[in-house]
Amino acid sequence: MTAVLQLEDLAVHFGGVNAVDGVTVSIAAGEFVGLIGPNGAGKTTLMRIVSGSVRPDRGRVVLAGNDVTGISTASRVRKGLALTHQIVRPFREMTVLDNIVLAAGYRRTANPLRAALSVGRKRECERAAEILLRVGLAGTADKLSGSLPLGQMKRLEVARALALDPQIVLFDEPLAGLNQTEAARMVETIADVNAQGITVVLVEHNLEEVMRSCRRLIVLNDGRVIGDGAPQAVMADAIVREAYVGSGTASHARH
Amino acid sequence: MSAYEISLLSVIGLNVILAVSLNMISGFCGQISLGHGAFYGTGAYAAALTMIATRNFPLSLVCATTVGALAGIVVGFASLRVRSDFLAVTTIGVNFLFTGFVRKQGWLGGEMGISGIPASGLGGNGNMVMILLFAVATIALSLYINRSWMGFAFRAVSEDENAAATLGINAGAYKLAAFGIGTALAGLAGGLYAFFTQFITVDTFDFIFSVLLMAMVVIGGIGSTFGVVVAAIALTLLPEAIRVVNDYRLLVFGGLLVLVIRLAPGGLAGLARRLTVRAAKP
Amino acid sequence: MYYIDLAVTGLSFGCMYAMMAVGLTLVYGLLRILHVAHAAVFALGAYLTVIVANATGSIGLGFLVAIAVTPLFGMAIYRLLYEPLLGYRPDVPMIASVGLLVLMQDAFRIAFGEQGVTFKNNIYAFRIYDVAGIRVNAVQVAIVICAIVVFVGLHLFTTRTRIGIAWRATVSRPKIAASFGVDAIKVRYLNFAIGSALAALAGGLVGLLNNLVDPVIGYVVSYKALAIIVLGGLGSVRGTLIASLVLGMVEAYGTIFIGSWLNRDGIAFLALIALLMIRPQGFTGARAA
Repeated sequence: MTAVLQLEDLAVHFGGVNAVDGVTVSIAAGEFVGLIGPNGAGKTTLMRIVSGSVRPDRGRVVLAGNDVTGISTASRVRKGLALTHQIVRPFREMTVLDNIVLAAGYRRTANPLRAALSVGRKRECERAAEILLRVGLAGTADKLSGSLPLGQMKRLEVARALALDPQIVLFDEPLAGLNQTEAARMVETIADVNAQGITVVLVEHNLEEVMRSCRRLIVLNDGRVIGDGAPQAVMADAIVREAYVGSGTASHARH
Repeated sequence: MSAYEISLLSVIGLNVILAVSLNMISGFCGQISLGHGAFYGTGAYAAALTMIATRNFPLSLVCATTVGALAGIVVGFASLRVRSDFLAVTTIGVNFLFTGFVRKQGWLGGEMGISGIPASGLGGNGNMVMILLFAVATIALSLYINRSWMGFAFRAVSEDENAAATLGINAGAYKLAAFGIGTALAGLAGGLYAFFTQFITVDTFDFIFSVLLMAMVVIGGIGSTFGVVVAAIALTLLPEAIRVVNDYRLLVFGGLLVLVIRLAPGGLAGLARRLTVRAAKP
Repeated sequence: MYYIDLAVTGLSFGCMYAMMAVGLTLVYGLLRILHVAHAAVFALGAYLTVIVANATGSIGLGFLVAIAVTPLFGMAIYRLLYEPLLGYRPDVPMIASVGLLVLMQDAFRIAFGEQGVTFKNNIYAFRIYDVAGIRVNAVQVAIVICAIVVFVGLHLFTTRTRIGIAWRATVSRPKIAASFGVDAIKVRYLNFAIGSALAALAGGLVGLLNNLVDPVIGYVVSYKALAIIVLGGLGSVRGTLIASLVLGMVEAYGTIFIGSWLNRDGIAFLALIALLMIRPQGFTGARAA
């Protein structure tokens, strides 16, 4: 089975530090992978390399068999990648529904010429309405997306990702800023995405939720992978525990 | 119809084409262009030279439109490099490059301009009708683009390019498209202008005129086709209707621009929207 | 000797550009706004200098009034125009600024005439010294001396006085400065006040040098100032000074060569566009992209 996402020896350095230092990971279709690590481990940078905002110094990013290392974010999205942002960015001037419709219309917007020749929106509107209900945003269709509370904005990000018919979705800290109930419900929504057959990579700080939902856990520290496997086994590993305890969370525990 | 009225309607028609096309670039797609006058001028000079060389009227207009589009796409590449306010500065620069270059080139008429451009053959009335037809066509095109998926993508690019990328929208391609279409229309207007006056000088296409066009777009309501049309007509008629305004044009337009941005950033369209919302409330 | 005369011209123009552009780069450094209307402040300074000088017979008084009054105008622009627009995208205050510049320049034309105003009793522009074979104009000397005084003064102010240090900190590190209790609002007003005063001084000196203040005096300098602050690095005073001198020299010597296929404004903008395309982030400072 070809991997949906393959990262081959990725590395990048900023300002004298190796933010990502030789990461090789292979993710198969349908997996539900959690990516964790202490602050500064390189999770965000790694995700930015995968999404296309950062160019690696070496290594390749292969998406469903295509080498996407050198191409733009928009092009990667068209090859099956979808992502949600840690700091949500809906199009505030548009309604909630329109945000999703635009994503659903990705075939129409492939290039300006095709977009100029397309006017009808019926199919995309129907699809968007379905997705709206599925992610739990019923009733918000006509609200300006800038007026939503945080939890709903995050669901909108998920809805837009789904509308793109992706093969894999990267969730960048989707639970940040949510209270416990909201976080649990969000994880359910994300699990539902995975249940539809879409590969999920969840980057998160909230260990509890990650442990409960993921079937595979990858741990990053100092830009390198220090753990990769079933969640319980990985968290029991001495090296991983050292990384979390030793990285300043409770330094007084050493005495 | 008197010669004055024909002339006035022709100018209104040209300004409508210019303002609506600028609105496509700066309103729909959010790429601020303070150099639209340069594309107007490029079209005018292209049409004049083509007509003098070939005596072919339709060919001259096609040339004007094409050259305008090409110039716009080249400048559009700048929008891929720098952010909004520096893009504005770059477009100001383009305007000055255009006027500065033309002033020094003998074959473009230099400071004296190009006179004696052969007539289109349609007569004053015919020219005016043609200009007005193109103006209507431009408005129709603008409304169509707004409704289409291109307009939808433009709005996304205008608001947040990076978010648009996560939806698979290639912002760069759309910016170039906006520039190309907008400047093609400006070039066309330039060609029409050349036949309207049969005498062009570079002063007509300077930075100040570009600022006036932007004032029409802002005052009309950036992004709103109808708002911009109303503003273009109003701001063309204002100096004619009130003699005082004619002498103080820059003062008035500059002042209106500042006031609108400061007090009613949505322009006339924004005000209209607010009034209708208030009227609709029970 | 002709080439040394050109060097003197280049140096004096460079110093004048520096005094004018400093205000522009400081506003950008502090607020990330392209204060295009700064050219109107410059023009106002020039007009005040010549009007007061003609009315009172004292050029010195003209300068004093200009330097005292223009800061008020500059601060008003901040308070009335920019402050309310700070939350918008960066092109919004910039377009408003352009509108203000166009408005002001036309106001000057209407108020003082298309031909401009000349000094009634300008002894300095025609007083020429001969220094070791080099012909130097009294005003050029004054410009250079003023620039030296101004920049040394600025340096001392921003490194020796409390307010000055606070100002410099806020321009380079706004968040850290705020956490040290620096009053950001006061710093902004100070920023506009000093930048405007310097622009007024530069304006008055240019008017004196040319013995003429006309309605387009602002436009000409505004384009060049934009090129200067990008070249020097947005927000960097030292960069602006260097870039100003470079531009002054290039202009003095350059028009000999390039003047044939592009006029002066065109050259300045060609350089600006080239700079922005090559390095959108400027050559030493903050970002343009």
